[in-house]
Parts: sequence; structure tokens; C-alpha cells
Amino acid sequence: MSPEVVVLGATLVALTLYALLGGADFGAGIWEFNTALHVSPRERALLRRAIGPVWEANHVWLIFVLVALFTAFPLAFAAVCRALWLPLLLGLLGIVFRGAAFAFRSVPSPDEPRPFHWETLFALASTAAPFFLGASAWAIASGRLDVDRSGGHGGDPLLGWLNPMSIFGAFFAVATCAYLAAVYLARDARREEGVELAELWRRRALVAGAWMGLLSAAGLALVATAAPVLWEGFRGRAAPVVLVSGLGGLSSLGFLLARRETAAVVGAATAVGGVVLGWGVAQYPAIVPPSLTVEGTKAPEAVLRPLAIGMAAGAALLVPSLGFLFYLFKGKRPAA
Amino acid sequence: MNAAALLPPGDAALFAARLQMAFTLGFHVVLACLGVGLPVLLLVAEGRFLRTRDEGWRTLARRWSKAFGVLFAVGAVSGTVLSFEIGILWPRFVAVFGPVIGFPFTLEAFAFFLEAIFLGLYLYGWDRLTPQAHWWCGVPVAAAGLASAWFVVTANAWMNAPAGFRLDGDALADADPVAAMRNPAAGAQTTHMILAAYVVTGFLVASVYAAARLRGEERPYHRRARALGLAMGCLSAPAQILAGDFAARVVARTQPVKFAAMEGQFQTEARAPLRLGGIPDEERGETRFALEIPGALSWLAHRDADVPVRGLDSVPAAERPPIAIVHLAFQSMIASGVVLLALSAWAGWTWLRRRRIPESRAFARALLVAGPLSILATEAGWIVTEVGRQPWIVQGVMRTADAAAGSPRAGWILAATLAVYAVIGVGSFLALRRLARRPLPA
Ligand code: HDD
Ligand code: HEM
Ligand code: HEM
Repeated sequence: MSPEVVVLGATLVALTLYALLGGADFGAGIWEFNTALHVSPRERALLRRAIGPVWEANHVWLIFVLVALFTAFPLAFAAVCRALWLPLLLGLLGIVFRGAAFAFRSVPSPDEPRPFHWETLFALASTAAPFFLGASAWAIASGRLDVDRSGGHGGDPLLGWLNPMSIFGAFFAVATCAYLAAVYLARDARREEGVELAELWRRRALVAGAWMGLLSAAGLALVATAAPVLWEGFRGRAAPVVLVSGLGGLSSLGFLLARRETAAVVGAATAVGGVVLGWGVAQYPAIVPPSLTVEGTKAPEAVLRPLAIGMAAGAALLVPSLGFLFYLFKGKRPAA
Repeated sequence: MNAAALLPPGDAALFAARLQMAFTLGFHVVLACLGVGLPVLLLVAEGRFLRTRDEGWRTLARRWSKAFGVLFAVGAVSGTVLSFEIGILWPRFVAVFGPVIGFPFTLEAFAFFLEAIFLGLYLYGWDRLTPQAHWWCGVPVAAAGLASAWFVVTANAWMNAPAGFRLDGDALADADPVAAMRNPAAGAQTTHMILAAYVVTGFLVASVYAAARLRGEERPYHRRARALGLAMGCLSAPAQILAGDFAARVVARTQPVKFAAMEGQFQTEARAPLRLGGIPDEERGETRFALEIPGALSWLAHRDADVPVRGLDSVPAAERPPIAIVHLAFQSMIASGVVLLALSAWAGWTWLRRRRIPESRAFARALLVAGPLSILATEAGWIVTEVGRQPWIVQGVMRTADAAAGSPRAGWILAATLAVYAVIGVGSFLALRRLARRPLPA
């Protein structure tokens, strides 16, 4: 396999993991809009325990995607930065305030046990980040960005990224994060908190899952009409991935109904992961369709080869460490 | 009102982008220093606990780890800002040179992973891991912090002394990322930066507990904390001076124009004098009011007083950096370095004679300024490095002006950034203060 395909594949996997892990962390913040209205201390504790140990590691997937694009497909990275600077900066604003607010509110002052401002900011920022990152991703997928082969951008510098797909994508990303978080939290609650909270989160997950089903159908219809090239990819090369994704989503609903939350987590992750992977597979070899492709943007061979090797070596360190982190905080049952 | 109107005419957008880069990097580097240094202090404190079973050491490590959790989060988000900025502000730099310097950035991403993973284990694992296992989880945090500083500074050193690539017109024809990492400036800069991180962390911690001493809070907890910080600062400060001398000689060899600006050296001359203080006057082409030590600059740069030092006159005016800023920043770094060295000598002398650190109020007052002073030295050093490289983003290869996005909205972005950073700066300060005020266990 040529090194650019290895690097692109690794980047796509990293993006998928960012959606699955980072997305769920955002989702937990999105739900706080809801839980802020009827607070129970146990519920809030569950949310914090769920995110606390892992969110920084989950965040690094995004950094990885950025630097991998930057190094291996510099023209595509430059084009994306030029065309999408506004939604990217707005998403970044969400990331910054989400991270900062999470850290600050973990140190409440004795006379204000619930730092209201940071709580609100956390919820808002957790919503803004996937909203604008989702808009950016779907703007790329739409194939309507006016970028040229040298990485320049000819569209409107402020609003060139706005089109029906990017607007839909913003809401789709927020809903996806909320759905993932609800399913994961249902599992965490079942294992740690007993029936009452588990049932609450299970109901939320079911509702969010039903919405996701509708949104996904709408999304496919939108792609079919608004992005014919991508649609060809979905019907052709990426069809098996789309199918598996759909089955995963359905199974997550079934498992939730059967109160088998761990299996539901697998189903939900398959559904969402399939969307991201399917997108990549469907638009390959384009990176920023229609004009920027792997061939037209890749770095010299002499860079890609060590990069692929470096990534493999890094993964050898990363996988066991990450495995241990998740085992300790998500797998192993806490000592009573 | 248009924010850009507040900036100098002409290249307002470029100027705003440069200020933006300078400000966000200047913010990040403080947290980065603590990200490199604090895990080492945590390891020492918790290690003392494991050895002595004295709960006081564990209290110290636990309380510091809380603060580190906050600092790390802010460091991570401010670093994320930088990753986006490089592309958004300097798209042409990335489009051409991304492949050359992206390799260390990619390795750095793995270092970030390890740092974040083991920090999660460390911060939330106090009660879930055995004490030994918990201590070991701190080791990758310290190692990865060091590694990430090393990787990113090799990328910066490459901008100063580019190597390992071939251009074909404006486009990259070939690149050797490993040769790029082994550029002539990398050794000196990475050593100097990593030592800076230990100097900053050590003296900043010492400063915080010197303030406690001056307020009259003086329990064993505070004394230990101060001693630990002081030890780190005093051990690394002298090494830092040596590393600085090494860095200066590398700059003299690889970036003679920057070196001339640092020293306020307008004419190329043999037996060039070392100037202490002074104000470079670009109109007159000389540095005025400086105390000059004849021949010393030639000697410092080349270890031979008779070797000529290239002056700013060796390049056209358009290829010179802003001389006054670079000279002033360099002098501030050196002055701070000398003060920190003197403090280290004071503490070292007391230690040799009495086997304890100085406890006087006078020393505590001196320590109080040492922390801010070490940050000043770090910021000043980066101003020397970055402003001294101008007008180049890649020394001799690509001009900063040619790399910029030139967005007419750069002024607005800068204004928004300043507002956001004000909020997170104040938030961090308040959170740390709340942590510090939590009562100690009796
Ligand atoms: C604690 C902080 C600190 C202290 C006490 C010093 N420095 Fe420094 N210096 C830095 C922190 C720093 C830095 C922030 O870390 C820089 C910026 C870029 C770099 O690699 O290190 C730097 C850069 C820097 C450079 C420019 C390197 C370049 O542009 O490539 C030189 C020549 C020196 N230093 C020299 C010195 C000397 C001769 C010192 C002794 C008195 C000194 N520094 C003390
Ligand atoms: C001298 C310069 C720099 C040093 C020493 C440094 C070091 C560090 C360290 C130690 C951290 C860990 C976080 C912390 O402890 O607070 C960090 C975080 C980070 N830095 Fe820097 N950095 C530097 C410059 C940069 C630059 C120029 C960029 C980007 C282009 C960058 C990108 C990042 C990112 C993305 C993170 C977050 C990683 C995470 O999510 O955990 N840094 N940096
Ligand atoms: C963390 C410590 C750092 C500080 C405080 C710092 C400071 C600055 C300053 C003051 C400028 C503006 C110079 C001018 O335009 O006059 C600048 C520009 C820049 N820096 Fe740094 N820098 C740091 C580290 C780095 C690192 C590690 C990298 C990259 C690997 C980097 C990349 C850049 C780039 C791309 C620019 C814009 C182009 C230019 O002005 O040359 N910096 N930085």
C-alpha cells in the first residue's frame, strides 16, 4: 500500500475516533442544557465522572487530524483553512471555552458550590463546537467549496461555506453527539448508579436515537439531491459501510429497549463511525472535492514514508496506554 | 469603528496576524513551561512520600496535581488555538513547508496523547491505583511533556536555520524530514527551552510559597514546597546560562543578522565590543548610551577577539529586523538570567554552609520577584528569536508577508482573541487561587 493511503487511512480513523469519543464528551455537555433544569447531584456527578479522566485524551484526536493533514496533504489543509476559517474559528471558540470551563468549574468555591457562569458556558460551548465543526465537515463533503488546485479559495471569504448541506451538518453533528452521549451514559449509569438514573438515560437515548434515525434518512436524501458525486460514492464503493452503519443504529435502539446498554454502545458507535468512515470512503480519492485529491495535494514521498512509519510506531505506544485508561475508568468496576 | 483602523496603515492585516501569533504563543509558553516542569516536581514530592511515608509529601503532590489539572487544560486549549492558527494565519507557509516541519508536529501529537492519557490516570487514579502504580503513571507525563517541547522547538529552530529540503521555484521539490529536525539551531534551542521550562516552574513555585512566607503562613507544607521549587530553579539556572551562551554562538554562526540586532552591532568589525544596555538608533546607525567592553563580543561569538562580527550593514535595510525591540529583549533576558544566577548562588552558598535553604524575609522577597522574572526572560527570549528572524518566516527562504493570509478581518480576529484570552486568563487565576485557599489537612 502506498504511504499516502496509509496516512490518509490513519487520519480518517483518527477523525472517526474523534467523533466517537470527543463527540460523546461534547454530547454530555449538550445534555447539561437539559439536566441544568432538573438537577440531581448524582446525575451531575455521573456526567463529570464520565468525562473527567478521558476528555483530554479524546481531544488529542483532533490535533492528530490537523497535523496529519498539515504534513501529508498541505495544499488541502491550506485550502480548508482559507475557505472555512470562520466556522473553524467559531468551533475553536467552543473547544476553548468547553475545556476551560470544565477545568474551572471543577474547582468550585465554598460559597458558590455551583459556579453558574462556568456551567452555562460549558453547556453552550459544548454545543457550539460540534455545531461549527459539523458545518465545516459537511461544507467539505458538499463539494461546493470554491477551491482551486493550488489550494486557493475563490468563494466569499466570509460566507462561502454556507449551503444547505453545511447548515444541515451543523445540526446533525449536535444531534449525533447528544445521541452518543446518552447511550454511553445509559451504560455508565446502569453499571454505577442503579436503576433510576439508568432508566432516565435509557429513555433519553431512545428519544435521541429515534431522532437520529429520522435525521440520517433526511441527510441521505439531502446528499442525493445536493451532492450527486458524493451520493454516487455512497451508492457504490461505500454502500456496505452505509448499510452496516444503518444496522448499527437500528440495533442500538433494539438493545436499548432490551436494557442491554453495553451492546447498545457498540451499535451506536458502529452507526456513527460508519457515517464518518463512509464519507471518507465515498469521496476518496478527493480530500476537498471536487478539485483537491490525494494525488494533487500529497507531500513528497520522502516525507510520507517516515510519516507512515512514525504513525505506526506511535500507535504501538498509544493503543495499550489508551486501552489501560479506558479499562480503568470505563471497563473495570469501581471498588464499592 | 473598524478595528484595523487602530493599527498602522499599510500592512494592518499582516501586523494584526503577527501580533496575534505573538500573543497566543506568549500565553501558551507559560503553560507549556509548567507542563514540562510541574510533573517533575509532582514525581519528586510523591516519590518522597513513597520513600518516607510522610503524609505531608502526599498532601503536597495531591494539591499540586489539582492545580496541574487546571493548568494542563488551559495549556491544551491554548495549544489547540495555535494548531488552527498556523493554517488560518499563514496558509502559504503551511502549503509549502507543511511536509518539512510536519513530522515533528506529528510525533508531538503522540506525545500529547501519552501526556493526556497518563495525566487522566494520574489525576483520577489516586484511589484506584496502588501508590507505586500511581507514581509510575506520572513518569510518562513528565517524559511526554519534555518530548513535546523538544519536538515543537525543533520545528521552530528549522524556521531559524532551515535545512533538509529542496525548492523548485516556489514549490517544494523534495524534503528530508529527519534532516530538517537535525537543523543547526535545533540542539541549542531545544536545550535552552527545556531548561527554561524548569527555571520557570522552579522559581514560580518558589515565588508562590515565598508569598505565603511573607504573609506569615509558614507551616512545614509551605517550607517544603518552597524548597522543592527552589531546588529545581537553582539547579537549572546556571545550566541555563551556559545553554544561553551556546545558543548565542549558534545564532552568530547561523543567523548573523539576528545576532547583530541582538547586540546592536551596526558595522561589521573585528574586535567588536559587547554592549551592555544602550539604545540602538537606526537613523544614525549606532547603538547609543551602551557600556562597551572592547573585543568581548567577538570573543563571545567566536571565542577569538580578532574575528570580525557581521554588522547590520551587511544586508539591505529591508532585510533587517526591528533592531531596538530585539536588542532590548535580549538585554532583558540576560539581565534576568544574571539575577536568577545570583539568587541561585545565594541559596547554594547557604545550603553548603548550613544544609538548609535561606529563610530570611529578604530572601523571600527576592524569591517573590524571581518567578515573574523567569517568565520575563522566557518571553524576552522568544521575542529575540521570533522578531529577530523578521522579515523572514523561514530564514532567507520565505518572507512573513508572503506567508500571510492577508485577511482584512485580522484586526477583528485579534480583538476577539484578546477578549477570549482575558476570560480564560482571569478564570485560571481565580481557579488556582481557590485551590490555594482550600484548607490544609490538620
Ligand atoms: C528562564 C529563561 C531564560 C534565561 C534565564 C535565559 N534565556 Fe535565553 N532564551 C530563553 C529563555 C531564557 C527562551 C525563551 O527559552 C529562548 C527563546 C527561544 C529559545 O529557544 O529559547 C531563548 C533564546 C535565546 C537566544 C536566541 C536563540 C535563537 O534565536 O535561536 C539566545 C542567543 C539566548 N537565549 C541567550 C541567552 C543568554 C546568553 C542567557 C544568559 C544570561 C540567557 N539566554 C538566559
Ligand atoms: C516553545 C514552544 C512550545 C512548547 C515548549 C510547548 C509545549 C507544550 C506542552 C508541554 C503542552 C502540554 C500541555 C500543558 O502542559 O499545558 C503543550 C500543549 C499543546 N501545544 Fe504546545 N508548546 C509550544 C508551542 C506550540 C506550538 C507552536 C503549537 C502549535 C502549532 C503547539 C500546540 C500544542 C497543542 C495542540 C497542545 C495541546 C495538546 C493536548 O491537547 O494535550 N504548541 N505544548
Ligand atoms: C512558545 C513560545 C513562542 C513565542 C513566545 C513566540 C513568539 C512569536 C512572536 C513574538 C512572533 C511575531 C514576530 C514578528 O512578526 O515580529 C511570532 C511569530 C511566529 N512564530 Fe513564534 N514564538 C514561539 C514559538 C514558536 C514555535 C515553537 C513555532 C513553530 C514551530 C512558532 C512559529 C511562529 C510563526 C509561524 C510565526 C509567524 C511568522 C513570523 O512572524 O515569522 N513560534 N512568534
